[in-house]
Amino acid sequence: MPHAGRWQVNEMKSVLVIGGGIAGIQSSLDLANRGYHIYLVEREPSIGGHMALLDKTFPTNDCSMCILAPKMNECNAHPNIDILSYSEVMDLSGNAGDFTARVQRKARYINEEKCTGCGDCTARCPSKVPNEYNGNLDKRKSIFLPYPQAVPRVMTIDREHCIYLTKGKCGNCKKVCNAGAVDYEQKDTFVDLNVAAVIVATGFDMFDPTHMQEYGYGKYANVITAMEYERMICASGPTGGHLETAPDKEHPGKIAFIQCVGSRDLQHNPYCCSVCCMHAIKESILAREHYEDIKPYIFYTDLRAVGKGFEEYAVRGEKEYGIKYIRGRPGQIIEDASTKKLTVWYDDTVNRKVKGLEVDMAVLCTSLIPAKGSDKLAAILDIELDEYGLYKSRDELTAPLDTRRPGVFIAGYCQSPKDIPESVAQGSGAAARATEVAGGAYI
Amino acid sequence: MKQIIKRTKAYYCVECGKCSGSCPVARVNEGFSPRVIVERALSGMKGEIEGDRELWTCLTCEACTTKCPSTVKFSEFIRGMRSSAFNSGYTSRCSQGGLLHSIQRVQSYRDLVQNRLQWISDDLKTSTEGEVLYFTGCLPYFENLFSGFVNPLEIARSTVKILNKAGISPVVSPNERCCGHDLLWTGNVETFQKLARLNVEMIKESGASRIVTSCPECLRTLKLDYADFLEGTDIEIVHISEFISSLIKNNDIKLNRAGIMTYQDPCRLGRHMGIYDAPREVIKSMGELVEMNKNREESSCCGVSAWATCEGNSKQMQIERLIEAKSTGADMLVTSCPKCLIHLRCAVHNQIPVEKEKVDIPVVDLTVAACRALAGE
Repeated sequence: MPHAGRWQVNEMKSVLVIGGGIAGIQSSLDLANRGYHIYLVEREPSIGGHMALLDKTFPTNDCSMCILAPKMNECNAHPNIDILSYSEVMDLSGNAGDFTARVQRKARYINEEKCTGCGDCTARCPSKVPNEYNGNLDKRKSIFLPYPQAVPRVMTIDREHCIYLTKGKCGNCKKVCNAGAVDYEQKDTFVDLNVAAVIVATGFDMFDPTHMQEYGYGKYANVITAMEYERMICASGPTGGHLETAPDKEHPGKIAFIQCVGSRDLQHNPYCCSVCCMHAIKESILAREHYEDIKPYIFYTDLRAVGKGFEEYAVRGEKEYGIKYIRGRPGQIIEDASTKKLTVWYDDTVNRKVKGLEVDMAVLCTSLIPAKGSDKLAAILDIELDEYGLYKSRDELTAPLDTRRPGVFIAGYCQSPKDIPESVAQGSGAAARATEVAGGAYI
Repeated sequence: MKQIIKRTKAYYCVECGKCSGSCPVARVNEGFSPRVIVERALSGMKGEIEGDRELWTCLTCEACTTKCPSTVKFSEFIRGMRSSAFNSGYTSRCSQGGLLHSIQRVQSYRDLVQNRLQWISDDLKTSTEGEVLYFTGCLPYFENLFSGFVNPLEIARSTVKILNKAGISPVVSPNERCCGHDLLWTGNVETFQKLARLNVEMIKESGASRIVTSCPECLRTLKLDYADFLEGTDIEIVHISEFISSLIKNNDIKLNRAGIMTYQDPCRLGRHMGIYDAPREVIKSMGELVEMNKNREESSCCGVSAWATCEGNSKQMQIERLIEAKSTGADMLVTSCPKCLIHLRCAVHNQIPVEKEKVDIPVVDLTVAACRALAGE
C-alpha cells in the first residue's frame, strides 16, 4: 500500500547521533523533520566535518560550503535538534528503545548561551597556534571559531595554548567580551541522555604520509597533501585561494597529483579510499580554473571513475583542462635544494619507460583512515571493528547500516569508504533504520 | 618459477610501477625494470628471464622491496631466479673477470689452508677461543686486489683495536671462509651452502656466543641466510656500528671530534637489516653529521652488488652519489661497508667523467674513522 499522509510519532523519542559531518547532519535532519528529538554530539567545536574544509565537490564543482552551510544552520535552528559540540560519548548502557548515553561536555571556557560569536576576543588574543582547520598552513588564535561558518557560532578556548589557562596571565578575552561569555573556571561536565537509538557517523581522518620517506612530505616545502591543497585553493583558505610554492610564492607551473598514498598498499591501508581519483581530477580542474598556464599531472594506479557523471568528468578533465593522466605510482621525489623544484621519479607503466618529471608542486592524495578514537568508541558502544578499523556492519550486503548491537546504526565513511552523496544516502538510511526502534508510523 | 613467485608473493603484483619508479638502476639503464621482470614471470616467461642479462643488473638494493605496496619480495625473487638461471647454465658478467667469485669458490674446499691472519700486528690482541668472534670476511683478500686505492685491512685492524679497547680479545680464526654472500646472490646456492657449513663448524668450535662483523653483507648473511645452519645455537650477531654505538652509550669509549661527515647507508645494513641509527650515533659522537638528500630508506646504492656487474650504470651511480656527498659540504663521506668503500673509491680511481673537484671527497670506513678518533690514542 502506498504511504499517504504524514509520519506520526506517538510519544517524542530521542535519537543520539554521534558525529556532525554530512552523514550525521543528514540523519539528524531527517529524524528531526519526522518529529524525533536529536542529540547531535560532535567532538570538534563545530559541526560540519571534513566537507566544511573542501573547496568544491566533484563531479559538479559545486561549492562545498554553499551546500553544507544551510544544512548546518538548519540543524542549529531546528527545534528538535540539540547540538552538543565539543563533546564526546563516554558510555552507553541499556537496550534498543531505551539507552542511556553519558556524554562528556568538554569545557570550552565559554558560556554558549551568552557568546554571540562577534570575534572581539579573537582580535585581542595574543596566542597564535597552527590552524588545523587550514591544514596548519596559517595560524589561528587560542580563542577561536574554526571557520566563519562554524555552527554553533560560539568561541572555544584551546586549553593547551591559552596563556591565561596555562600561565595565569593575559585575560584579554574576558576583558573585551561585552557579553560576559568567557568563563575560565568552566569545568568538563557530564550529561546522561535517554535515547531510543544511536547513529554513529564519525567519518574519517587523513593518513599522515610523513613516514613515507620516498615522497618527502614534511621535508620538502612543495610537497603537500590533498587536504592542504583544498584549503589553499579555497577562497576562504590561508592563501585566499592562491596556490603558492616555495621559495617565492609563485603559483606552480606543473603540479603532480600522486594517487593512493597510503591506500591500496599492504604496508599501510589495503583498501581503496574511493575518492582520491575523483578529488585529484577536481583539484586539477580547479587549478586550471585559477591559472590557465598550470599543467596538472595525475599519477594513478587505476583511474576509478565509477559514479554517475564521473567518467565524463575524467574525460573532460583531460580534453578541456589538459590533465595528463599517467599510470604509475611514483617511487621517489627528489627536491633541488636551491630551486625547491621537485623531480618525480616514476614508471610510465603504459609506455614502459622510467622517467623523472620536474614539477613545482606535488600533491599527495593520501588515504582516508578510521577517525582517531574509533576503536575506543567501538568498545564504548559495544560494536565491532572490521580489519581496517572501520565499523563492522551486521551484514555487509543486507544490513550495512546495522551493527551487532540492536539500536546502534552506522552511516558514512566510518562504515566503509565512500563519497559525499553516498554518505548522505547512508545518513538518510540510518535515520530510517532508527525509526524502527524509536517507534512511529505513517497515518 | 612458480615456487619463487609464491614464496616472494610476486602474484600480488598489480603492476603499479612503484618498484621501477624507485629503482636507481632503471634511471640510468633503460633496459632494466623490476616491474617488467615480475610481469614476465607472471606470464610464465621463465626462459626469457633466465637468459636476459638484465637479471644480473639488479643490485638487490631493496629500494623497491621496502616500499612495494603489494609487499612483493623483489630482491628475493631476483635471487631465486638467478639460482634457477645458474642451474640452467647462465651466470653473471662478473667484474674482475670472475676472479672474486673464484676466490670465494676456492674457500669452499674443506682442506684449504689459508694464510689470512698475517695482518694481526703485535699491538692487537686476538684469541683462538672465546666469547666474541670477529668475522673478518673478505678483507684479507680485498687487500691483495684493491690496495692500490683502499686499505681494506685497516678496517680489520681498527675493529680489533676497538674491541681491545672494550676489553675484548676477539677470536679471529684462520679457518674462516667467505660468508658466501656473493655466491648466494649470483645463484650459486650449492657453494654457498658449503661455505656456510664450514663457517658454522668454525664458529661452534670457537665457543663464541657473539659474532661481530665489520661488513654488512656478512651481517645479513650470518643473521638471515645462516639461520637454518645455526639452528639450535644462541649466537648474537652484531655489526661493528652497533657495537661501537653501545660502547659510546655506556661511556666505555670516547671519540675526539673529527670533522663534518656525511653518511652512505649500505643497502645490506640499512634496507636489508634496518640499521640506520647506530652508525649515525657513532658519527654524531665524533663530529657533525650532514645528511645527503637521499638518506636512510631513500639512500642510493653504491652501484655494485655481489660483484655481479660493474658497468657504465654503476659508474654513473657512483659519480652521482659522490657529487651528492660533496655538495653537502662535509669533510668526508663515511660508510660502514667495505664494499661501498671499494666501489666509491674505484669510481674516481681512474678516469672521471666530471671535474675532479665535484667528486673530490675522501671516503672513509666508519670503524676506521672511529678508531682514528679514539681519545687517548
